[in-house]
Amino acid sequence: MLVEVRPTKKLRGARALDLTECLSPIVDVLCEDSIDLSRLRLVCDWVQYKNNFRNVIDVRPILSPVKKNGCAPEPEVDKLEIAIDLRRCADADLADIARDALASRSEPDGLGRVYLEDWSRGTTSRIWEFNSLYWRFLGVWEKATGRLYEQALPGGESDARNVAGVHELIKEMFTVWDDLAAHNSLPDELYVIELGVGNGNQAKTWLDEFAKLDAEHGTEYYRRLHYMMCDYSEHVLALARQNVVDHAAHVSSFALDATTPMTALGFLRYKVFLVYISNVYDNLPTEDVAQIGGHTYRAEIRAYVPKAEAARIAAEFGIETQKLVGAIDKLLSLGPELLVDALTAHFPDVARAAGFWMAVWDALKLEERYVPMTGLDLYEIAPGVNGEMLRPMLERHGDVRMQVSNGAIASFVDTLPLLHPYGRLQCHDIFVTDPHQYRTGFLGPGKYDGSIVNWVNGPLLQHIGRRKGFDVGYAPFAHRTGTNIVTLTAQVRD
Amino acid sequence: MSDLTLLSTTVVGSYSVPEWLERLKTDFYLHRISPAHLAEIHDVAIKAAIKDQERAGIDVVSDGELRRDNDIDYLLARIPGVAISDTTKSYYYDYYDAEVPEPLSTGDSSALGLVDDFVFTRTQTDRPIKFSFTGPFSLSRRIRNSAYADRADLVRSLAHALNAEARKLVAAGATRLQIDEPFLAGYPDDVGLAIEAVNLVTKDVEADWALHVCYGNRYARPSWEGHYDFLFPAVLDADVGTLVLEFARKGYGDLSLFKRYHWDRRLGLGVIDVKSEEVETADVVATRIRRALEVVPAERLVVNPDCGLRHLPAFVARAKLRAMVAGAAAVRQELSETADTDAPPIVTEES
Repeated sequence: MLVEVRPTKKLRGARALDLTECLSPIVDVLCEDSIDLSRLRLVCDWVQYKNNFRNVIDVRPILSPVKKNGCAPEPEVDKLEIAIDLRRCADADLADIARDALASRSEPDGLGRVYLEDWSRGTTSRIWEFNSLYWRFLGVWEKATGRLYEQALPGGESDARNVAGVHELIKEMFTVWDDLAAHNSLPDELYVIELGVGNGNQAKTWLDEFAKLDAEHGTEYYRRLHYMMCDYSEHVLALARQNVVDHAAHVSSFALDATTPMTALGFLRYKVFLVYISNVYDNLPTEDVAQIGGHTYRAEIRAYVPKAEAARIAAEFGIETQKLVGAIDKLLSLGPELLVDALTAHFPDVARAAGFWMAVWDALKLEERYVPMTGLDLYEIAPGVNGEMLRPMLERHGDVRMQVSNGAIASFVDTLPLLHPYGRLQCHDIFVTDPHQYRTGFLGPGKYDGSIVNWVNGPLLQHIGRRKGFDVGYAPFAHRTGTNIVTLTAQVRD
Repeated sequence: MSDLTLLSTTVVGSYSVPEWLERLKTDFYLHRISPAHLAEIHDVAIKAAIKDQERAGIDVVSDGELRRDNDIDYLLARIPGVAISDTTKSYYYDYYDAEVPEPLSTGDSSALGLVDDFVFTRTQTDRPIKFSFTGPFSLSRRIRNSAYADRADLVRSLAHALNAEARKLVAAGATRLQIDEPFLAGYPDDVGLAIEAVNLVTKDVEADWALHVCYGNRYARPSWEGHYDFLFPAVLDADVGTLVLEFARKGYGDLSLFKRYHWDRRLGLGVIDVKSEEVETADVVATRIRRALEVVPAERLVVNPDCGLRHLPAFVARAKLRAMVAGAAAVRQELSETADTDAPPIVTEES
């Protein structure tokens, strides 16, 4: 049996975690069971997100990578992984929980859980429909919770709205533009794109500062400037537009999916001098891959609501338990406003529909299993990026599980063609910057308000950027202390 | 080019590098495969690249430059006096860090190995062959110069080394040579020096010379943007028969330069955008050729992609070449029909 304890820092210091106290009852239960202990992995995390998709103890089957007679493997369990959330161990009856978790592996599907889907790739799971719902109906969510989404961010505001950082960036751009102008190579139109505009504070700060610095610089760059605000949420864009009304002649707004910016912005290929992205990548669909015992696996997931929770929610909203999934389907496809029309008897107003949404979201959990991959080159990380890009990380770092950050990578590689040869992509987000972090911390998924958050696989992004001809660098966010935010900068290399 | 058909088709140089070949090239640097195995792999890949070009109907083919990691290292690593302290790479396409610590020996005519590459290609095809190599100006831009007070002298020294190799290539039977200057567009103020160096390379080498200038194709991206006006009038002094330029991606506005400056030699017209996987139709290619015919007569027009095809998937590269050949054929047919009805007939230029 292999035991992997990731949050090693928690094992020392004045408030050190008593690992023995956590593991001992679980190991006792495992020993009582008939389970083959030699084929067991016990992985311990510290899930720092108070709202998350995990149970205190989860059982994850590891399917056999062995092919029989050249056929694809049947979903045959080869090994087991037992995942423990150490943060919640202290107050739990671990022996009972462990027994229940082990028993569930031999239960028929659906005995204790109401599934919302069949096994799926992480990126295609229905949890992303909830994430999408949050951004599409952000106004409804904010009204229901009574707080604006930016207040849910650490520190209560986006790191984007920082004059010192903006000032520095614009000055650097002016230097590049002056040089291009001296060689008659500066285009007439100067494009800047912001992906994920939030409430427009960043755009306003940026444009105000730009206009001021340009006036000092005396080159009339502001006259030639086009600032493109892009966001998935029309609600957010509408707010942002109000915020930059003073610069209306220089601002356009686009509702687009951050994973495919070229679909709307293809006409700006090689023309954009700055793409600015803040707190977007961590919120895009991703799935995990894992290297276990020399084999590579994809983590498949299955969203469910625990049966007891499902019964409670159904009762609260006057829905028959067996019709709960149907109501959730309607919520995800129609949104909370139209749900009122579709199921008026249960949801007489939007507030009630929003309450249902929040209750389901709160109860939502993920079941996981590991499915062997048949070849990295056959695995598509994102359009045009195959799994071979994962090879260096998987080969160099032994048994490791990590986010692929598929959505972030799709966005990144679809953004790079927009950049002018002297352009730059700057992104503030929560990045893993050293693969070792996958061994020492829990990096998602967590629930963040009504959205999903995962740390972004920085080394993978860096590797892919390099293969696309870009230097990708990471630095701690320079303009605020005590933040996990990291600044990514990508520029053409060579 | 007098032995070729009107509106003959050719490639700029590099051909599609399959992903598996990229992996194997990188594996070589990671010591997972031997130089001998890599050489065999290169031979096989080059044979396939030539076959692809032949089947597409390309008149003048190349070896696809498939032995070369990139546009710089293959040559720099072979020029005596260029020091590369670290020859390891984590990815084959990366550039070496090259330095010239001492002035290059002008009397050293050591072979750079390009002759072997040409001879191999010669044995694989009966079609005319274009053999390309990166020019001295672009090579110099990837060298840390610790030897020359005036960087121009480094460029000239590199030109001498390339001139010596060009002579060997011609002695081995090469008739069509091309100098690529992918970095020149980034240093428009240096065009005079670059052309001076081109003339040092071509000096006393009896070949049909071409000069290719683009806006870069590193990682399938332009390295610079701008216009070809920086080339003129300096390029008029270049001892080359063909100027091979990028148009398909950028548009054909710069064609007017050929009229304004009375360019009286051939133009290698870029009709295929190598930075896009969208395959042009033969009609689009034909339209582009017709537009060029407004400023350059058919007997002085050569049809080629904008740049090397290395970053395109093989199936896209093949499709683009087929479209290019079909587009050129369509215009050729139109010209032939015009010649049948109008006297005097079109006469192919004697070179």
